[in-house]
Amino acid sequence: MEQIEKKYSNGEITVYWKPRACIHSSVCYTRLLEVFNPRKRPWVNMQGAPTQKIIDVVNKCPTDALTWKRDDEKKNETIGPRDTNHIKNRRPDYFPRSDTPAGVVPAKPVSIRIMKNGPLLVEGSFIVTTSSGSRIKMANMTSFCRCGRSGSMPFCDGSHRTEGFKDSQ
Amino acid sequence: MDNKTDNKTTEFRVIENGPLHVKGNFVLQNPDGTQINVEKEAWLCRCGNSKNKPFCDGSHRPVGFRG
Repeated sequence: MEQIEKKYSNGEITVYWKPRACIHSSVCYTRLLEVFNPRKRPWVNMQGAPTQKIIDVVNKCPTDALTWKRDDEKKNETIGPRDTNHIKNRRPDYFPRSDTPAGVVPAKPVSIRIMKNGPLLVEGSFIVTTSSGSRIKMANMTSFCRCGRSGSMPFCDGSHRTEGFKDSQ
Repeated sequence: MDNKTDNKTTEFRVIENGPLHVKGNFVLQNPDGTQINVEKEAWLCRCGNSKNKPFCDGSHRPVGFRG
């Protein structure tokens, strides 16, 4: 299936957004609302902050929903893997696929992060058993709804924001 | 290989109209990054109404949570 990818440029860099890869972790808009504001359309305002600030936040996106690269292709050639999260798309050789072979149990504990007024962000290798009893094996990352309003239970669909979910209620 | 989960596999079990039961090898972190100590398993609120977040306090029942 082809992924929808939206592009936002400030003339210096382009930020790419793939809605299907977004797990609504809230990392981008809690750090830089001036640029990433889900209540606005378009939701990305490239004039909202200096380029480096945008890059820093895009690099914190836990999935590859948000990525970036420089508009000047020549400058991209000098970007190292530590400087960008987009390079894993352009240069897969930098990031060999790390899919765990079947039957191998990784020793690393699964990380469960509670996002403020948002979902549970889960990272690692784990199994989800749905209420109907079916089991989904997952690797990498997902987010579980905590507000009770998601339209795609048990996963987060971003509804906590429109519903004004607060941890302290 | 059998289909059962051993204690090294982390499992999230969605309880119908109730919490999320997590069991296995995991670490639970607050929004500020501090770790919450839990022993091997936890029941996490899914309905949004618990007074003991992130844990379930049974509030899903009186509020009639469906999901």
